[in-house]
Amino acid sequence: MGAAWLFLFAVFMAGALLFGMIFFIVNFSDLESDYLNPVDLCNKLNKLVVPENAVHGSLAILFLLSGQWVAFALNAPLVAYNVNKIINKQHTYDATEIFRTIDKHKKQCFIKAGFYLFCFFYYLYRMIAALVAESQ
Amino acid sequence: MSKTASGRTQWEIPQGAPVQGLQPTGSPPPVQHTKRRQYAAGQTQAYYGADGLADPTFAGGAQQQPVAGGQLFTPGLVGEHQFQAQQGQQPGQPAYYQPGQEPEYINGPAYGQPPQPAYAQAPIDALAGQFGQMGMGGQKQFQLYTTNLLTSPPEPRELYRPPPEIRLPPNSCISPSPLANSDPSYKRSTLNAIPTTASLLSKAKVPLALVITPYRSLKEGEEPVPLVTDTVIARCRRCRTYINPYVQFIDGGNRWRCCMCNMSNEVPQLFDWDQVRNQPGDRWARAELNHSVIEFVAPTEYMVRPPQPAVYVFLIDVSHTAVQSGMVATATRTILENLDRIPDEDQRTKVAVICYDVSLYFFSLPPGSTDPTMLVVSDIDDVFLPKPTDLLVNLAEARTTLESLLGRINDMFQENSIVGSAMGPALQAGFKLMSPIGGKILVLSSSLPSVGAGALKNREDPKILGTAKESGLLQAASPFYKTFAIECSRAHVSVDMFLFSAGYTDVASLACLPHYTSGQTYYYPAFNAARSEDALKFAHELGEVLAMPIMLEAVMRVRASRGLRMASFHGNFFVRSTDLLAMPAVPQDQSYAIEIQIDESITTPFVVFQTAVLHTTCYGERRIRVITLALPTTTNLSEVYASADQVALATLFANKAVERALTHKLEDSRDYIFQKLVDILVSYKASMTSGGAGASAQLAISENLKMLPVLVLGLLKNVGIRQSAQIPPDIRAYSQSLLTSLPSQLLIPYIYPTFYSLHNMPPEAGTVGENGIILPPALPLTSERLERHGLFLIEDGQTIFLYVGRDAVPQLIMDVFNLPSYEVLRGGKTTLPVLENAFSQRVNAVIQKTRESRRGVYYPHLYVVKDDGEPPLRLWALSALIQDRADVLPSYQQFVSSLKDKVNGIGGGY
Ligand SMILES: [Zn+2]
Repeated sequence: MGAAWLFLFAVFMAGALLFGMIFFIVNFSDLESDYLNPVDLCNKLNKLVVPENAVHGSLAILFLLSGQWVAFALNAPLVAYNVNKIINKQHTYDATEIFRTIDKHKKQCFIKAGFYLFCFFYYLYRMIAALVAESQ
Repeated sequence: MSKTASGRTQWEIPQGAPVQGLQPTGSPPPVQHTKRRQYAAGQTQAYYGADGLADPTFAGGAQQQPVAGGQLFTPGLVGEHQFQAQQGQQPGQPAYYQPGQEPEYINGPAYGQPPQPAYAQAPIDALAGQFGQMGMGGQKQFQLYTTNLLTSPPEPRELYRPPPEIRLPPNSCISPSPLANSDPSYKRSTLNAIPTTASLLSKAKVPLALVITPYRSLKEGEEPVPLVTDTVIARCRRCRTYINPYVQFIDGGNRWRCCMCNMSNEVPQLFDWDQVRNQPGDRWARAELNHSVIEFVAPTEYMVRPPQPAVYVFLIDVSHTAVQSGMVATATRTILENLDRIPDEDQRTKVAVICYDVSLYFFSLPPGSTDPTMLVVSDIDDVFLPKPTDLLVNLAEARTTLESLLGRINDMFQENSIVGSAMGPALQAGFKLMSPIGGKILVLSSSLPSVGAGALKNREDPKILGTAKESGLLQAASPFYKTFAIECSRAHVSVDMFLFSAGYTDVASLACLPHYTSGQTYYYPAFNAARSEDALKFAHELGEVLAMPIMLEAVMRVRASRGLRMASFHGNFFVRSTDLLAMPAVPQDQSYAIEIQIDESITTPFVVFQTAVLHTTCYGERRIRVITLALPTTTNLSEVYASADQVALATLFANKAVERALTHKLEDSRDYIFQKLVDILVSYKASMTSGGAGASAQLAISENLKMLPVLVLGLLKNVGIRQSAQIPPDIRAYSQSLLTSLPSQLLIPYIYPTFYSLHNMPPEAGTVGENGIILPPALPLTSERLERHGLFLIEDGQTIFLYVGRDAVPQLIMDVFNLPSYEVLRGGKTTLPVLENAFSQRVNAVIQKTRESRRGVYYPHLYVVKDDGEPPLRLWALSALIQDRADVLPSYQQFVSSLKDKVNGIGGGY
């Protein structure tokens, strides 16, 4: 029963993270088409970077604690990447350099969104698999 | 093929045949040779008596006499001898200058003035001929001349030539005025013929970019920028382009067609009305249709708020170190002396003075009183203004109070023993004071900010210099300086930094503020006002900054014809949206570089780039400065090469190198520009020479890009980029801030210094000619040219070295320095005396002219460098001779030969 609940929770989290990334991408596009200025953009997005990383990190820890090794291994690289960025203080967006780096940021967001989408279906599959296993 | 005296072969001409007698040779014909000899003898006699001529050591031009000392010699590679022989003057070879013609050139047309006929026809000047004497009628084609870098040494004179001429198709311009296209000192493009497709551009490997100095200073005798006062501003409805000489009038003159987007627009009703005389006017005489650089008086639609007055807030460090170095005394005296020069025509200019150590000292300056009151704020964590009024005062009204304050500040803090700096809180206080208006903050700091917001630590670590971690030291240590810069930019506040510290002061972090607020950083390492040269330099530069008419509340936007897009921006400003640059207070002579992308194929025969700077003058008038540059397009690769501007390219590379050094590593930045150069050479070889892709014994480049390799070498050897484990990060960071803000006219000497031989300069050098003081001919930057008995001047726009050979005769020392002999002469910072003899006056005139001839506020220090004097100073001076080998850095010959290997597909880096 525990695994099913865990993956149900994970499905919701992955969905939330996916929406978060889409929100980032939309904002970057707004910046490129001058609907938003770089200062507002950075103020807005920088508030969300740490929560996003925290949600993802705590999900990974949850997998670790409940012994879901595959799910944990799937998320570990991204956790390491995020932690490394925070330690080096490179996790925030710099309004003075944003136009020079926007392509890189957008690419990152797209990759992350793709990853979360994959996770979403993987967790869904694991949840169903767990439910099936329990009902048998 | 023709072989010239210089041994250069012109082995391929892809387009057409060269005009007879116009071979692109850099050397004059051997005719002048006798003159030179006579002249050298004359000089020698002047200094050594007639018998001096017999001594080969003293016979200046007759024989090369390299200076002793290992540092000066380039280790002899086999192939180098031939090369050096060409660089040096040999008895049988023509001189590099001709007393009769040379000075005309050196003092001749500045950048961009069309070559005068006399100049173009001079035998020395085939290059100008190449550009100047093209066929009449029809669109003139660019002629491509190929030169071999291995056999043609750099010729400094090439750098003073105008860029390849812009050849627009006939009838593209509605004005016959020569001013209808932009002068290169305002705006120049790396390519003067724009490729029609992105693939052609990428094939050429030459980056496309604009170098813009929208607000350059005017020299004496230059026409001011024409002003359109009638507020009839015709702009394209679709793309917002301002009307310019490249639009077309259609529909009987009732409409005009935009040159960028082809939109048909209505001509405004009052366009043909002379509002001054109140009568019909002549449309064709309107300034905006005849001038490429123009200012419009802006109507109220262009204002978010009424034009604000100019505001100057001085933040003066009064800590123990600041007072002891004499900075406070010099600064206050300079401000006092320059109060009259601060722009204040409309009597609206406001001024505030805040002093700080670890506390803030405000001064209340009630108008009419002569007694300023000091208010101390020690709470620096939450900065507040101690008084709502009288801190920021009207300059004219509070003049007497201000004068008495400035006269007293140094005495007030004379005994101050507090060490430390609350620069961050002082900045916040200054910002609070002026943020409703905007304006300029001038920070004068003698120590590393140590308390409050923006406090910095000494992070200088000799162990990481020269390693991959070094670029970390060149980035801002505290986010404060970026976030505060953005706040400033929003409130139209610009910050200038004057840094004096003897120790580490983290220029890299502090320079962020000027960088993002269109200010400027000035650095005076180990400043000591007791040395009159230090005080003089600082006082001159601060005075110039104060007197400068600045543009306030400015935003800049560059528009271009359809298909072209401004892709990335370099320089001192904040990029506020994809193509809008925010510049709170634009100083004069600051340069910006913008890279351009070709998004879609261009179908028009020419394209237009228009820079518009909306600003408030410091006299309270809202204006728009518009700079229009039209360039032809081409589908021909050889035209792309023939139209490339090496000076603009070097300026762009300087910006790219610094950007790369900050985002990657210093090493990456050097590799990057080296690779860019290799790419150009490879592509040129493959497409423009018969050699194709195979190995070649030559290294081909077009004549107009001949100096690019030596400029790149100069950049690789510049303090800001150079490979070294000995350059303090402060010096590097300062140099980088210069590399990204100097206009080409200052940047080129900064990476390729000028080098004159003074002891045997032509008789007219140093005297007043038609165009002011005549300069001696510039020499190539190699120690080959140093002579043991000589006197030389090396100058990079920031520093002047007077290099004295160890065998300089007493008469020379006496004439220039008023000292009996070389032995008693001391090296170091000096003020050169003006003595009662012609030679001293000429040397002083040359120095004076070099100081004046550049744009910008800089007043270079003059160092006397003795041939056998202190090694560090001597090495510093000699490091300016960039064609020599120094440590791990290659000589020009080695550099070119490694380029050749690389182009032929062999070998690694430079
Ligand atoms: Zn238009």
